[in-house]
Amino acid sequence: MSASTDTATLAGSQRPSRLRLLEPITILWVALIAALLVLVALPLLKMFVISFEEQDTGVFTIQNYLTAYGRQRYLDAVRNSLLLGTLSAAISVVLAVPMAWAVSRTDMPGKGFTWAIVLAAFIMPPYLGAIGWVLLAGPNSGWINVVWRSLTGATDPLVNVYTFTGMAFVIALHSFPLVFIFVKSALDLISSEMEDAANILGGGTWVTMRKVTLPLVWPSILGGFILIFLETIALFGTPAIIGIPARINVVTTQLWQFFEDPVRVEVASAFAMPLLLVTIGLIAVQKLLLARKGFVSQTGKGGERRQVKLGPWRWVLFGWCVLVALLSVVKPLMVLLQASFAKAWGRGFSFDNLTLRNYQFLLFEHDMAPQAVWNTVWFSATSATIAVVLALLVAYIVVRRLIRFADALGFLAMAPFVIPGIVMAIGFYAAYAGPPLSLYGSALLIILAFASRFLPIAYASSQAAIRAVHPEMEEAARILGSGRLHAIRKVTAPLLKTSLLGGWLVVFIVASRELSAAIFLVGPRTRTMSVLLYDLTEQGNFEVVSAFGGILLVITMAIVGIGMKLVGRDFMLRRE
Amino acid sequence: MEPHERDLYEAARREGQVTWYSAQYSADTSEAIGRAFTERYPGVRCSVVRSTSQVAFQRLSQDQRAGVAQCDVFASSNGGHYIQLKRQNRLTQFRPVNADGMLPMLRTADPDNYFQYSSLGIYLLGHNTNMVSDAEAPKSWADVLDPKWKDKLAVGHPGFSGAIGIWALQMRSMFGPDFLRRFERNKPQVGRSSIDPVTMMTAGERAVGVAVPSASTLFAASRGNPLKLIYPTEGVVAVPAPSAIMSNAPNPNAAKLFMEFNTGPALSRITRTMFSESLRPDVPPPEGCRPLDQVTLLSPSLEDADRGVPELREQWRDIFGV
Amino acid sequence: MPRLTLTGLTKAYGKLTVVDKVNLTLEEGEFVSLLGPSGCGKTTTLRMIAGFVDPTGGSISVDGKVLSAPGAVVPPERRGMSMIFQSYAIWPNMTVEQNVAFGLNLRKLPAAEVKQRVGEILEVVKLNTLAHRYPAELSGGQQQRVALARAIVVKPSVLLLDEPLSNLDANLREEMRFEIRRLHDEFRITTVYVTHDQGEAMATSDRIAVMNAGRIEQVDAPHLLYTRPRTRFVAGFVGRTNLLDAAVEGGQLVLGGISLGPAASAGVAEGTAGNVLISLRPQAMTVLTAPPPAGDGGLVLPAAVKERTYLGEAWDYVVEPQGTNLRLRAAAPPLEAYDVGTPVWLRVDPRQVAVVA
Repeated sequence: MSASTDTATLAGSQRPSRLRLLEPITILWVALIAALLVLVALPLLKMFVISFEEQDTGVFTIQNYLTAYGRQRYLDAVRNSLLLGTLSAAISVVLAVPMAWAVSRTDMPGKGFTWAIVLAAFIMPPYLGAIGWVLLAGPNSGWINVVWRSLTGATDPLVNVYTFTGMAFVIALHSFPLVFIFVKSALDLISSEMEDAANILGGGTWVTMRKVTLPLVWPSILGGFILIFLETIALFGTPAIIGIPARINVVTTQLWQFFEDPVRVEVASAFAMPLLLVTIGLIAVQKLLLARKGFVSQTGKGGERRQVKLGPWRWVLFGWCVLVALLSVVKPLMVLLQASFAKAWGRGFSFDNLTLRNYQFLLFEHDMAPQAVWNTVWFSATSATIAVVLALLVAYIVVRRLIRFADALGFLAMAPFVIPGIVMAIGFYAAYAGPPLSLYGSALLIILAFASRFLPIAYASSQAAIRAVHPEMEEAARILGSGRLHAIRKVTAPLLKTSLLGGWLVVFIVASRELSAAIFLVGPRTRTMSVLLYDLTEQGNFEVVSAFGGILLVITMAIVGIGMKLVGRDFMLRRE
Repeated sequence: MEPHERDLYEAARREGQVTWYSAQYSADTSEAIGRAFTERYPGVRCSVVRSTSQVAFQRLSQDQRAGVAQCDVFASSNGGHYIQLKRQNRLTQFRPVNADGMLPMLRTADPDNYFQYSSLGIYLLGHNTNMVSDAEAPKSWADVLDPKWKDKLAVGHPGFSGAIGIWALQMRSMFGPDFLRRFERNKPQVGRSSIDPVTMMTAGERAVGVAVPSASTLFAASRGNPLKLIYPTEGVVAVPAPSAIMSNAPNPNAAKLFMEFNTGPALSRITRTMFSESLRPDVPPPEGCRPLDQVTLLSPSLEDADRGVPELREQWRDIFGV
Repeated sequence: MPRLTLTGLTKAYGKLTVVDKVNLTLEEGEFVSLLGPSGCGKTTTLRMIAGFVDPTGGSISVDGKVLSAPGAVVPPERRGMSMIFQSYAIWPNMTVEQNVAFGLNLRKLPAAEVKQRVGEILEVVKLNTLAHRYPAELSGGQQQRVALARAIVVKPSVLLLDEPLSNLDANLREEMRFEIRRLHDEFRITTVYVTHDQGEAMATSDRIAVMNAGRIEQVDAPHLLYTRPRTRFVAGFVGRTNLLDAAVEGGQLVLGGISLGPAASAGVAEGTAGNVLISLRPQAMTVLTAPPPAGDGGLVLPAAVKERTYLGEAWDYVVEPQGTNLRLRAAAPPLEAYDVGTPVWLRVDPRQVAVVA
């Protein structure tokens, strides 16, 4: 090799004095900002605006707010939602924190089993759980009560799903994995020295756990609590399936009523706006509570970690995990499975009650069911792709600080995380359903709504992934002659592949079961499995509903299986 | 194929499909009707969008508000909807030729032919025979107000089911304005569809279904469930329900063909196997039903339904909380 | 024409100026280090040369063509340079061979030539047997060699190195210094090397630019930097030294009332008078237990040992010449151990006295 240089052969460098005013990539940044505005900012803005508009005329008015909050029943709905959210979140914390502690820090047996249960409870759509619990805990016909009566001769039911606590409990049984994931990942970061320091001063295992370990993960517990609260007040399926027979009206079912003829989006918007205030309030409270103390979970600095030896107590904890497993997964799945293969589920398990008719009806005789399966798959796949691509680019800009106000972009991408899903859906309806775009009922609208709703999940995983790739990796490519996009494609993207796939799969799974965001937006041919399943529950035809739920679970499980194979066992439950 | 049918079929085939918002028949029956239509007219696919009547009407309202046309044929069990739709000029004038061959009471729903009867629902009482003997079971609509049925009744919801709205309107006219309040004291379990109480009886969750459709009850009983119909002494609530073609129907010819199918004998021949009433004298009524001429048929007018149901729905919600 | 020219190069973030009007010229084939403490602006300067940071003022040109001027910048990929990063930035998803071939492929060279040149360079860095390994299967030193090979194989107009040895352990670091210099001697690629380690800079560089607070304090050959520091900062940063207030009286340096003689005053600029600062290296002094025979040209001062620290390779004494309150650090070989309080004689080599200001 000689000392001469190769610069002349480098594309474009024949004129190295050609100066750059605008990188072509700037156009991409502008497009990204536009996409975020379309997906996040515009629907919320439009909703805010029309909440002050008179229907048809568009004249400014505060009448919508007076209507939305002018009736006892509507106020009751708000109160019920707030109570339900609080109760569900509290129950979730009680269920999940001991499990998280046991799995993360102790020598409890059956940790793999506990993981599997948490995962299963997480992928089970909440409305399927609700149906399972209707079959389990209906005051007269529920399996638990039937067994209870035959064992004790009692006349009163042991449990009743059609109550406020019943509903909160059922919701919690499918929300607790969020607390588990949050708390466990925080616990994983605590050095055993923290506990050793308490032990050496005379604190036993339990004192140490209560006074040192748990307080250290307090932010995660609070974060999980708030998230479940927000998810619960946005839940539509469970309140419709359990809340109507239990005669409990909540915000979501009330919003649905505002969509009755004549469709009062304006009033619905006015009714939903305060939910945003609640969200902002919660975040403020969280900030306030966590303002001064230092928490390990935020610094993420580890140290040596050892398992706490529990002695016989480890079996008590394991028993707790088994109990949660029974309640959240095993029992509901069993009754759903039984119902899906039953001619009449109330007759119980017997061979003359077995049939494949429910599946046959859905797969071969139902006009919409196969279409809904297909819709679910391709809507979820497309929205997951949009969310991941968008999130990746935004996270890239934010992490690499490529433009000013990058943080504002990151904020927009994270915003749907704290906006109740149903509020987002109404925003989408308000902004895009009607003229001039008239996207109501179109696949595009649903895909965009899903992409927006789950953008934060994709964003969080992209951000963590990009942080893990040293910027010098790309700079090394650029100095050797590749443009920014080429460098991203050749170097960054391959390095991110696994985490991006993980993020994609998680979005796919949560999108495939999403109901709240879809229910206001679907059209006749664009119904998803979740919406069709909800339509099927109207008649209380639980055999067919269960069979459809079974199909949904099989699809989800296939995707989870693929994910575990490609990305790793715990891809769903990593907190990124 | 009749000549008028063949012409419509030719035109319909160019459109290729028809979207039917179906709320008059159960999910199973609706799917069977859709399949039969698609089989009878190859190349014209029937998209069945089955829901309760109020939900179907809500979808229609959302379509309209968004300026989107998705529905061809709208079939609600709340006839009041058609008075409203006609008033708002949202229906297409069309009289199916087959309408002339229907039962006399179903021949003319609208003198201007904007909508046409396409179903006749019979709503009555039912009971689970394992939980309540025939002797104990309520005999009349008045009986269900008896406190002894507290916590034993199940009913649909007028915010969802169109028929329940019609039924409650009829009850209110018979028992006075505080009927709902008195009924509520017995704490009936509230479902959504009028068919939901059938499931509740089958499961043994509630002993007596109030305002259950005869068709779904008989269908469930035919599958071996311990259910029985009760014909209340005051009479059954008969809900003749129309269908109509939307003025902005994307597939107007297929919609007309579907209306012909709805009113023709083919439909009744299918639905009677699922225990729905036959709409035509040339198709016998389903088995297990009392002949229509032997029972008292109670029914508010379509105009009453248009005026009364929205207000009744609000009253219901204030009383029941949901 | 110089290969690389920095003219008044400036970078400011808001009110904070991190690189302040830097002027530097590299001839073709020259190896120049930017040496300075962390935060002095050396890495920012390097990244401006690479094109990763846009300058606020001044310009950068290569072979007379302007690459950077405020608001108008050639992106890194069109500068024809290459760079070795602190983290090596070896792409873990590519084999050694693919890593090294990356730049060549971007230059659209024929496959055969790419293969040949990759083979040659891997031979040079002694990695030819590991061509198909993935980076995770290599040691730190081997990864460093991959980075070197990848950067050199494209024959860059300028090679930039950003503290490339800071992640290696001490022994390997020493070895790689000589490796880098060897490769430079072989290929004569114009090189800018950023480091905070003066040993590295001395071992590798033709010239060293010492930076402090965004400015270049002095650019000189390594030994001149040591013996003739021109600023207080350079004197203090490069090696250890005694910085002393002195005066120029009649063209002669006077320290604590003692004239340092004509040899020490050679560096005093014509016409200087009044107070100056001088740098006196510990190595410029010898600690003796007996007065040396007179007449060897040195300056000898009776003194006393005040403190001592054993550093392994040498003693570090603090001695105080009689009749002064100066405290001078002086180095002595390990065998010359004296207790605190021992009276000694200090011989100063006047040629090594440098006037810094």
